[in-house]
Amino acid sequence: MDRTQWLLTESQLREWVRSLLDAGNSVVAPVEEDGVLLFRPLTSEERAILAPSGKTRWSPKEFLFPRSEPLYRYTLDGGEVEIENPPAPQRPQVLFGVRSCDAGGLLRLDEIFLSGTKDPLYAARRESTTVVSMACAAADPECFCTAVGGSPVGEEGSDLQLVPLEEGWLLRVLTEKGEALFGDVDERWQDAPAAIAKEVEKLERRVAGQIERSPVKQEWSKTLEDGFEHEAWDRLAQHCLGCSVCAYVCPSCSCFDMNHEANAWCGEQCRSWDACTFAIFTHHASGHNPRSTHQERYRQRVLHKFAFKAEDDEPFRCVGCGRCVALCPAGLDIVDTVTAAVAAIREEGADAAR
Amino acid sequence: MTEANVTVAESGTGSVPEGWQPHIVALVCNWCSYAGADMAGTTRLEYPANVRMVRFPCTGRMSPLMILKAFEQGADGVLVSGCHPGDCHYVQGNLVARRRFTIFRSLMDFIGIDLRRLHFAWVSAAEGHKWARVVSDVTAAVSEAGPLPAFESPEDWDGVELPSVGDGGPQELTADQLDLLRANLRRAASEVLAAKRVGVVIGYGAGSLPGQNVPKLVTDSSACEILDWGHGCVNNLSTYIGDALEHNDRVAVVVKTCDLGAITGLIREDQVRRDQLLLIGMQCPGVHSGSALAAKCLSCSGDPHPICDLVVSVDGVHESCLDPSDAALDMPDARDEQIAYLESLPYAERWRYWQRQFGRCLRCYACRAACPLCYCSSCIADKHRPQWVPTSIDNAGNSTWNIIRAIHLAGRCSGCDECARACPADIRLDLINRKLALEVERQYGRVGLDPEEKSALIDFRMEDSEEFIL
Amino acid sequence: MPLAEAFPIPNPYQPSLMRIDDFFDETSDVRTLRLRFVDGDEEREFSGWEPGQFGQFTVFGAGESVFALANQPWRPNGNSEDTPIIECTFRAIGKVTHALRDMSEGQVIGFRGPYGNHFPIDDWLGKDLVFIGGGIGMAALRSALLDVIDRKQEFGDVVILNGARSVADMVYTEEMPRWQDVDGVRVVRTVDPGGETEDWDGEVGLLPNVFEGLNLEPDGRIVVACGPPIMLHYLFLSLGKTGYSPEQVVTTLENKMKCGIGHCGRCYVGPFSVCRDGPVVTWAELNELPKDY
Repeated sequence: MDRTQWLLTESQLREWVRSLLDAGNSVVAPVEEDGVLLFRPLTSEERAILAPSGKTRWSPKEFLFPRSEPLYRYTLDGGEVEIENPPAPQRPQVLFGVRSCDAGGLLRLDEIFLSGTKDPLYAARRESTTVVSMACAAADPECFCTAVGGSPVGEEGSDLQLVPLEEGWLLRVLTEKGEALFGDVDERWQDAPAAIAKEVEKLERRVAGQIERSPVKQEWSKTLEDGFEHEAWDRLAQHCLGCSVCAYVCPSCSCFDMNHEANAWCGEQCRSWDACTFAIFTHHASGHNPRSTHQERYRQRVLHKFAFKAEDDEPFRCVGCGRCVALCPAGLDIVDTVTAAVAAIREEGADAAR
Repeated sequence: MTEANVTVAESGTGSVPEGWQPHIVALVCNWCSYAGADMAGTTRLEYPANVRMVRFPCTGRMSPLMILKAFEQGADGVLVSGCHPGDCHYVQGNLVARRRFTIFRSLMDFIGIDLRRLHFAWVSAAEGHKWARVVSDVTAAVSEAGPLPAFESPEDWDGVELPSVGDGGPQELTADQLDLLRANLRRAASEVLAAKRVGVVIGYGAGSLPGQNVPKLVTDSSACEILDWGHGCVNNLSTYIGDALEHNDRVAVVVKTCDLGAITGLIREDQVRRDQLLLIGMQCPGVHSGSALAAKCLSCSGDPHPICDLVVSVDGVHESCLDPSDAALDMPDARDEQIAYLESLPYAERWRYWQRQFGRCLRCYACRAACPLCYCSSCIADKHRPQWVPTSIDNAGNSTWNIIRAIHLAGRCSGCDECARACPADIRLDLINRKLALEVERQYGRVGLDPEEKSALIDFRMEDSEEFIL
Repeated sequence: MPLAEAFPIPNPYQPSLMRIDDFFDETSDVRTLRLRFVDGDEEREFSGWEPGQFGQFTVFGAGESVFALANQPWRPNGNSEDTPIIECTFRAIGKVTHALRDMSEGQVIGFRGPYGNHFPIDDWLGKDLVFIGGGIGMAALRSALLDVIDRKQEFGDVVILNGARSVADMVYTEEMPRWQDVDGVRVVRTVDPGGETEDWDGEVGLLPNVFEGLNLEPDGRIVVACGPPIMLHYLFLSLGKTGYSPEQVVTTLENKMKCGIGHCGRCYVGPFSVCRDGPVVTWAELNELPKDY
């Protein structure tokens, strides 16, 4: 497909968002709520924050994989049970202003929910969702996308991409789904010259240059797995408090729990976010817990991001948004952990006893 | 999220659906009010039929969890009724309950539950007439309040602008002074490790982000150079004491004055003995939240507290072992004005404010994990027989969680604000905790840093106030 | 708009309704249920299962729990008389299992499955077999051993080692004599030391020790074991000591599972999703996985 690209002013961009809303889309964009930057469905194009300072507090994954949702509902009537499916998405959705790392994170969710037995709720939402990403104008201190194979202007997972320029934005179409989001293109929109690619490259160099992390190497996966029982994990994870901030703000974490929320007459099988950092995640009713310590649980999260791959060339399940680093109440840093673990395993050998 | 949770109109906005009748849940004590209701029945007294009764052995068995469950399941009002003070079948159950409900009621009021929905009564087995009257009054009050407002985040709401907290805080330290403090701290830590006075020093080191400090455990006196001190030392390290004591007989903890309340709490609640701890009190420049001083610092002098074993200041390191009861912490709080402002708002506005806050909750339980006094090995939120706290991450479940977390800390919370700091959603848990602390103090007096004092909510006095009880 | 109209993928989380046809109390807290489909269409479309597979069983209002499909495998054969019956054996230990224990004949529960891989029974043809079950672990073996006993002539000698903490905790006591009656099948019952009663006529000892005492030559033999992690740990030590190779030993992983389709993340052992890639593994395969089970 020919790449279609335009230069947009702020008012043109907002008008476009308006037209998306008018066309019946649910447009989910960064807004400020009580001082917190969050993705929320827009009620007006004016609320969207087009040039936020910093990233949203957590990723937009909840619009494909909600924090909680019914998997089915049932009613009980004199011993008889009636089951019905949950409501399907009512209207198409546009995720607007998604950072490149978060857009990549959505693909990691696809790998889980659309592989093997497809998840129909996720699939229905995914089908009706178009992703408009926003390249980064600046890196935040916690950012490390470039260390895990990403880029501040990465296109992975985006249907359309906005690139902030010194004046206005570049809007480019990346997929057919992105193209389908347009009716008639506003004739006042200015076509972007081919030379604009240079500007994008410049932006990439500048923002990538702000990220000081050195790369996490693919071959480390093997080292990490070999050193599964290395004593370094005790040390590296000793400050973990066992909450799940890291997993819940993460664009690619996808573990969930299923519980009946019910009363005597009706109820639902409710799926909610869950995290491997919680002690009860793997706790058997019998009392046995394969991961009974913080250390084992933290290791699980780190290795699930950076090791345990089906194929050697599989990308990491971490997209480098850095939220877990910025928001960990104990100040744990997943890149530092991985780097230190690999160094310790290499130095002392994989078998250093725990 | 169940269908029974049918909530239609907002409190006070008037749009009550045609034919609406309030649903009221009454939690009653088996020994008196249940029998009182029975008496009302056998006496053939007429009273409204809106109340559904749940029988308990004692008001002392009734937890705020049960009231919250009633609201979550769609009750418009709740009545709690038990024996008159002095008449408790278990001697003092209702006296402890009275304190608990006094504090719980003030929290429900604070988060926007119209108090016309929440009633408490003493009804004895002989008071059939009183039961009928109480039920009539409660039904009338709940009817007036209307349907329970929905557990949902307000859409398109501009929010509440809280008064700014102003400024203040400890005296700013120069870079040189901070360096001196760090050097003194490292020396102190190194000495206590070398002298084997402790097995580990729980302190702060540099984090990976600019200006960030993170917890560090140092066991080797030669490794104390990694210890750091400054605005980034936000954690209350007493959270790590329990784990550290599993491997050591005695641990040193680097503490700010605001961390001490939690440590006293841990001692008071028999989680740790004072002699297992060596407290290294630091002169504190205040800690940062973002680029500004944290709100808790604004009314703090930053001076190390004399109950610490070692006091580290710019001048040096001093042994200090004053009697803790000599020095009560007296900290007015810059946020009290924000609390007063919220309390001045109508219920509907307060409800919106807190529903939007709770709506952001991800249920990551960082608040619980970061809290030094949330040390239960198994939390009520993880219990599912029965499932008191809904697992669903929505406004109803989140409200229950956030309220019950606060209530379980009422009278115990030391105000270190770790929960609010850890919260990735910036829920103002600090305001809730502070509100409860103020209420506990107003009702039952202050509990200071003396570990011998009893927490207010496990204690009672016969003469405790009960002006709200019918 | 119901989901099916919006997106034509079946909802894997929606259970089939099953009626409790009958039940049998194995011990004071272990019960076996017999279940039949409520819906005729679902019954006709049911594709059956192989030994080792498991299902998710729902008590409406309480939640779901995972149990092995414990009766002889049902395989569709076109005979409409032959309707599928599912049996499961569970111990009342958590919220769901206690709620399930409180149900009686005629009541309706949910079932979805079967899930997971199965015992490679066809690879065992002609070989001697040892089934070792510890406690409720027997439930995961029962389907396989019933299948084997049913086709006994296709296999060599069969030893069934059923171990329990105490005599009162032993499952399948009623039916063990029937297994024993089959030619070439030997049933050994054992209880942990201290768990015996005065009239106990079985063995007394921990399963790994009792197994060693049987002196079963490893040659041409397959060991199928299921039980608590601590039992398996010591059993593997015994197996190694007595010369069994890891390829000869088959077990099942019993991690906590919720979704059954490899999505929810909790049953992972390294890259291995127990519900999707397991639960049946050889000891050799287990050795390749991180020690995280």
